[in-house]
Amino acid sequence: MSELKVGGKKRGAKNTREDGGAQSLKVDRRTVVKGGVIAGAAAVIATKNTAAFAQESYPEDPPAPEGPVLCDPRPANSPPTTPFVDNLPIAAPATPTFLNPFPTRVANIGAGEAARDAHQAWQHFPPQVFYECVAAPSLHTFHSDLSPTYCWTFNGTYPAKTFLGYYGVPQLVRFRNNLPVDHATAGINEITVHLHNGHTPSESDGFAGDFFSTGLWKDNHYPNVYAGVDQYGGIGDPREAMRTFWFHDHRAEFTAPNNYLGLNGMFLLYDQKDPGHELASPGSLRLPNYFGLTDIPLQLHAILFCPTANGRNEAYNTGAVPGQVDKWIVNGKIQPKFTVRRRKYRFRILNTGMVKEWNLSLIGSDGQQKPMTVVAVDANFVEQPFDISNRNLLIPVASRYDVIIDFSQFAAGTSVYLREAQAQFVGVATPDPAPGLKIENVAMRFDVIEREPWFPPDTPPIANHLIDMPPAIVPDDYFEWHFTFDGSPRRFRINGEVFDHNRIDHAVLKGSSEEWVIANDVIAGNWTHPVHIHFEEGRIMSRSHTNRDASGNILSVDNVPLLPEELGRRDIYRVPGQDRLVIRLRFRDFVGRYLIHCHNMNHEDNFMMVRWDIVETVEELVQKRREIDERRMMAGLPPQYGNGKKNGRLV
Amino acid sequence: MKRRELFTGLGQTSASACKPEIRRMANLIPNAQFRTQDNKDVRLYDDMIKGKQVMVMMMYATCETFCPVATKRMVELHHQALAHRMGKDLFIVNVSLKPEEDDPAALKAYAEAHGALLPGWTFLTGSQYDVDTLRYKFFSHDHIGIDTNIDMHAGSMKIINDPIGRWFHADTFASTRTLLEHIQWSDPPKSLAERLKDNRRLQQQIEREVDLYGYRKIA
Repeated sequence: MSELKVGGKKRGAKNTREDGGAQSLKVDRRTVVKGGVIAGAAAVIATKNTAAFAQESYPEDPPAPEGPVLCDPRPANSPPTTPFVDNLPIAAPATPTFLNPFPTRVANIGAGEAARDAHQAWQHFPPQVFYECVAAPSLHTFHSDLSPTYCWTFNGTYPAKTFLGYYGVPQLVRFRNNLPVDHATAGINEITVHLHNGHTPSESDGFAGDFFSTGLWKDNHYPNVYAGVDQYGGIGDPREAMRTFWFHDHRAEFTAPNNYLGLNGMFLLYDQKDPGHELASPGSLRLPNYFGLTDIPLQLHAILFCPTANGRNEAYNTGAVPGQVDKWIVNGKIQPKFTVRRRKYRFRILNTGMVKEWNLSLIGSDGQQKPMTVVAVDANFVEQPFDISNRNLLIPVASRYDVIIDFSQFAAGTSVYLREAQAQFVGVATPDPAPGLKIENVAMRFDVIEREPWFPPDTPPIANHLIDMPPAIVPDDYFEWHFTFDGSPRRFRINGEVFDHNRIDHAVLKGSSEEWVIANDVIAGNWTHPVHIHFEEGRIMSRSHTNRDASGNILSVDNVPLLPEELGRRDIYRVPGQDRLVIRLRFRDFVGRYLIHCHNMNHEDNFMMVRWDIVETVEELVQKRREIDERRMMAGLPPQYGNGKKNGRLV
Repeated sequence: MKRRELFTGLGQTSASACKPEIRRMANLIPNAQFRTQDNKDVRLYDDMIKGKQVMVMMMYATCETFCPVATKRMVELHHQALAHRMGKDLFIVNVSLKPEEDDPAALKAYAEAHGALLPGWTFLTGSQYDVDTLRYKFFSHDHIGIDTNIDMHAGSMKIINDPIGRWFHADTFASTRTLLEHIQWSDPPKSLAERLKDNRRLQQQIEREVDLYGYRKIA
């Protein structure tokens, strides 16, 4: 019997089923375990997965619950729930596994893999760690007072298990679609999974038109490299590091309902600066960094629940519309409580959407706002950490904020509250938890206790200077994206067009950099778009706001000072009506089809999304740009390039 | 009996324990009485939608902006690729946005003028109330200022597949390839064998494109 060395401990493999293939699998298993140890997931592998290794080909499908009972008419509000009953769940790290058939560079059509381009980075960064992620229906209980709810989940847990990866250790995730063919949800049983905002080759990026149906699967190859591989060699420029990602379904037209049903999860990457532990090590920032202990993901969500039917509390099936959802959910629980020790904690806050923006603040038991220190915005560390102590932390859809809360400032035995500015429905009479704080505004509660001897001691004070920014970008080219709501039929449009996965709206040259303008041309105050650009992080250069009179004449164009969270690199740009953002991006290492879209999932499902391509050669660039302009002129739209504006200087 | 179910409260009563019942379309589409271009009375849901795969479009006869363009586009598509399906398992329903102006004769004239008197293609007019109900329930943007604007909906199209209880947006100004793909997305579910076959075809198409244009070529 082979023995598996995991986390320094010898552990006899118990499962007799693995006898047959044990010898041939040995090498791979060790590689997998090694990768896992580096990623800081050693403890979990050690406790959990000797059995999973032995499975023949795929983990067993979770028993599929019967489809949801349709909830109609829409209830006025969700059922009442008592606050602070459930503990905050934390999505466990995903466990590596074996994949059979073994992943291949070219799509393994014969074995049921979805059609795709060949993996671009396969030879340079062959995957070392393998995961399987099965999308299937399952039941999840959002509160002890509620019955289970029908969800669509990855590997049967809500939220999905967290991927912990390490820069330089390429990984591959096999997404299998086991969603039911026959169902009554508002979602659709076709998925394409986007890693937001990984430096991912196009064929693994979860392009909105690349979805695959039930029974098929697809390998997403994540090289886990920094941007700038071509420029700097190795695994790229470490200054480009991003850390807090999330993955979610990106199926065109159905992103909102599929995410509402639960098809999303978090994905963290570690490196020397942020190594997954808090001990002194070269280059480490020594921020709170033990996943699940002191480094906690907080996935914010909102749902409208229906009264009990068939023994379940189903989620209202078109609850994506704002103003309908009325229960605030953190990590899959309504108003949970979480016990914290008197030391620093890091929370990786993610807004999973679909539409709701969160306005968070930390309130002490005296009713006063307490400081939260922001260290990272949209996966990127900020240069200088800053406190949120006299305003709300505004989190647009799909944005991530890493905040550090120092609980040593609170006495043991007291509670601290995470306040959301918008009130939810509670329905159970509860006294105000703190002076001036309504129970309806509380998203979750932290209960402070003294640190026990076994718990890791506090980390040193947060450094004043976290990272050096990558060198300033000198743009080679200039392009404008105009987000509008016009035309007939009136639609959300970008540069006058709605989403078509077969159409290209902009082409950029691999290795070049561009200055992009993101302008929201709707009337001020009408629609705010959290704009997301796939593949590359951008830096905001400036933001301006146009003031108009009632008839639309421009009164003034004001420069809007950037907030501290806008000074670093971002992948979500919040653009209110009549705002105009200038950003700069670089496009390196990979080519293919990428997207720019509004991440308000209702807007992107209504086609507020267009495709842009990174191309290899100047000839291809010229050709594609010419085609774009010819097509636009045929459709009666102004050309984009060489029209007197600065657009397209390269051509 | 099925009809009666539509009008009773649904979610509150405990449904039968077997298969989920899919009734989304019936909830979204009013089953009101409309009149066709041939002066025939029909029920919108029962006669036009129920059990069918239908493209529902909004227009009005005097519309000069996008309705004629959308209609022309669908006529082209009909001749290019849909003639063998139209009237058999695929239908088009055009609902007038100005039912009080558009009598059946006006609709027939519009259809004739655009060459849209084709099998499986119906133009409907009815009461203002029923048209508005359809617009606010099904074509709604959940925004009162937009939903009350008639031109908001002119030329817009949704593809309904009633048996599977699903509907899709579509952009009539998209390329033929994209439009056909949208219709294909709304096709009834296929068997796994057929889906695998489609998948294989898609992969061949990708590879062919790479050969032809080099567009999907890798680094």
